[in-house]
Formats: sequence, structure tokens, C-alpha cells
Amino acid sequence: MTVIETIQKNRWRYLSLVMGFFLFVGPYAIIARMINTATGSMASPTLHTLCYRMPIDWLFGGRWYALLGSVAAVFILAVVILAFFMGPVFCGWLCPVGSVSEGVSRATPLPDRFRLRIRDPQITKGLRYGFFVGFIAVSMIVGYKIASMSSVCCRYCTSSILQNMANGLTGQMSAITYWHTGSLITLFSWLVIGGIFMSGGRGWCLFFCPLGVLSNLSHTVGKKLGMYRISYNADKCQDCTKCQVSCPTWAIDTDKSVDSHLCITCKECTNACPHEAYEYGRRR
Amino acid sequence: MVKAAIIVFAAAFTFMLTIGAAVYASDYGKSEMVHFRVAVPAGNITSPQVIKGAGAPLEMAPIIINLQQRGNLKKVLNPGIEGISTHWITNIGKKPIKIRMELVNASIPVRWEVSANLPFDPDTRTFIEPLPPRESIRNLGIDWFFLIPEDRLYDDIVYEGGLLLSDADTGETLTFLPITVMNGAGMINGSGGDCH
Repeated sequence: MTVIETIQKNRWRYLSLVMGFFLFVGPYAIIARMINTATGSMASPTLHTLCYRMPIDWLFGGRWYALLGSVAAVFILAVVILAFFMGPVFCGWLCPVGSVSEGVSRATPLPDRFRLRIRDPQITKGLRYGFFVGFIAVSMIVGYKIASMSSVCCRYCTSSILQNMANGLTGQMSAITYWHTGSLITLFSWLVIGGIFMSGGRGWCLFFCPLGVLSNLSHTVGKKLGMYRISYNADKCQDCTKCQVSCPTWAIDTDKSVDSHLCITCKECTNACPHEAYEYGRRR
Repeated sequence: MVKAAIIVFAAAFTFMLTIGAAVYASDYGKSEMVHFRVAVPAGNITSPQVIKGAGAPLEMAPIIINLQQRGNLKKVLNPGIEGISTHWITNIGKKPIKIRMELVNASIPVRWEVSANLPFDPDTRTFIEPLPPRESIRNLGIDWFFLIPEDRLYDDIVYEGGLLLSDADTGETLTFLPITVMNGAGMINGSGGDCH
């Protein structure tokens, strides 16, 4: 498929991803703005208002009291519940962090041979769950004060970087003058390694996003119970591999089945397949 | 068998990477964007101490930013600016307080960024509504960025002063938290921590 064809076929998703930017990232942050208005909060509406990570950190770090009344916790719960019924549509259709790295990857004219793509979803899952277990371990170690360690939540925060970059783009240049070591590492991991040098540009989402892992776990349970998912019909498949090339999260196995632990229901595969071997819907 | 070993290795790799990232963050975090808690009134914080009052006890300590203790990437790519931050200002006293903040002895330029669910006047650096006893300012985020001139970047003492919090109505000093930005070997920060 040409770039134009890809854009045409996936136009609704790309529009949705752009909309996600305005919904979640300040100074627009429409959802945070609505929440602040509803709760009477005077705090600046930013991407941090609905932090993707801290409530997960609190949950495993024994700080359950912090979850009560936290809009970020409600947001995460909503994303996970949505993933149960519809698949991880937040990741695939709205997340500004994922969309920026995916956009950077797609916009960079780098030959595919210079980009990493792990062909075996089992290995990708190993890397993904290794991080998640590590994330839980760090949350517990920090939360229960087991050893001297710093949370990986805020010290390696893509939301913070994206929000600062958005502030810079909208005229607040001072927002991009301060970088700490963690933010420099994160910027490089998120946009350069995970973005430009990984096929699909979703390296950060795959290997360092705890909300992504929770969403996919929820989706996997939902799939077993017959909820919405991308399903593969082997009878229609002509082995052209366009689905595998198009998948930004490397969720399609060598036998062309879709791994629910990695799929973000972006529907790139359903749109790329000329034989309609992939379909989004409910089924047992 | 080989595939299973690869998967286990992959999982172990990212697990260790995450643990390593946390350990490294605790190291450079002692001198980069140090997060601290503030209780008012707490007096002059001359040494690490546990502040007791209304609500849960709070740990406070003088802040020492050792520029040499920062991560190498920071030192190479973005050395001329360092920050400190708080998300917690708690009134541990018995009466509502209108809090005014001041950075004492600001010998280098300092940029303030304040976001809070309490009206704030950036000109006088005062929260214009009183903070009730036992309460913290909700949704608070205050960052102070020290803009270090190039010719002072390697001074032994770059900044020596502190954060003074006073009662905007009476002028009474509530809390003084000493802050030092310096260059030295082997200094350990008495504060530090994460943003949550």
C-alpha cells in the first residue's frame, strides 16, 4: 500500500489520534478541563491530570487511599473496562503518547531494514511482561520502603515530556528548557529507539507502558468471553504478509493469528488485508 | 526449549532494566528535580527532622543540590538549569493560614511555575485564600528552576538561601527551608524523593 492509500484507509483512526491530542494534552486537554470544571478545580488542565501510571503505582505500592477520589484512577479503570469490551481502543485510537511516537516513526523516511521488528509475539510478550513485573516490583519496593529506590513513574515520564513539548509548541518556550537525566533517557527511548528505530513506532507502548499491559490483559479476558476483538479467517488468507507489515505492535504471529496480549485494535490489519481475512467484531 | 529460554531471557532483561532504571533514578534524583514536602508552621529546618502537628508526621530536611552528583546526560546536555519541586504544602497548625512564599538570597535567576487548586497571586507569590488546618493544597505543583549562569556553573556554592514561607496577613515566619546549590564531591542530599 502506498502512504496515501494507508492514510485513506485508516483516516478515521488518524483523525481520532489527532483528536486524542486535543482531548488529553494541554493547553487544550478538553477532558481534564471538563473534569476540573465539574470538580471546581483551579489546577491547570494537562496530560498529568489523567496520569497513566501513578494510580497503578499506588495500587501495587500499597497506597490505596490515594486511589480514592483520584480522577486518574477513574480514568485508568475506564480505559481497562473499555478494553475488556471493545479491545484496547484507547491505545490504538486515542493515546497521545503512542500516537506521537507512531507519527514520528511513520513520518521518518527510514528504510525498514534499519528498523527493529520482533517477528515472534512470544518474545515481544516476554519483554513486555518483564517490564510490567519490574514495574510492580519497583512500586512495591518504593511503596513499602523495602529498599532505597526511586519510582519509575515520574522519573521516566513520557506524559511529562509530551506536555512540555506541547507547551513549547504553543509559545511557552520555558517548558522545554529543563531536562533531567530521566527525561533525556525517556525522550530517546520513546521517540528515537521506540519511535524511529522500531517498526510501527510503538516501542514505548510495547515495552514500557503499564496501562498498555493492563489494557491488553483486560482485552485478553474479554476476548475469551466473546467480546470485541480482531479475528483472523485462515480461509481467506493469501499469505501476502501485508497484515504483519502494517501492525504497529507486532501482534500478528507467523501463522497470522492476532495476539490479544499485544493487539491495540487499531484495525491497520483489517484495512491492509486485500482479502478481508481480518475482521473486528464479537464472537465466541 | 531454545524459544522458551529466549522468552525467559527477554522477560528477565526488561525486568532488570526496570529495576536498574529505578536504582539509577534514586541516584541522580538526589540532585535533579528534588521533590520535597513542606509543612507550615515548622520553623527553621536546620537538619533532617520529623515534623509533628495536625495530621500525619512529615519529614523535612534542608535541600542540598550537588551539581556534580547529577546524571552524566544532564551534565553534558542540559547543565545550566536545575530544578526543585513540591506537590505538598500542608498546614499542620491550628488556624487557617494565607501562605506567602519567598526565595531568600536569590543570587541567580529563579523561574517559578505554580499550579494549584487554590488561587495564587504570582506577583506577591501568595496563595490568596487561606489554607485550613490539617489540609494540604490540592493539585499542587510548584517548580523552582535555578538558571545557572555559565560562569557560575562550577562555583563551590552556586546558591545558598532557602524557601521562606510566611503568613501573608501578619508577616510571621512559618517555615524556613534552607536550599543550597553547590559543587562538591561525595555530598549526600538530605531530602530527595519522588513526585507522589
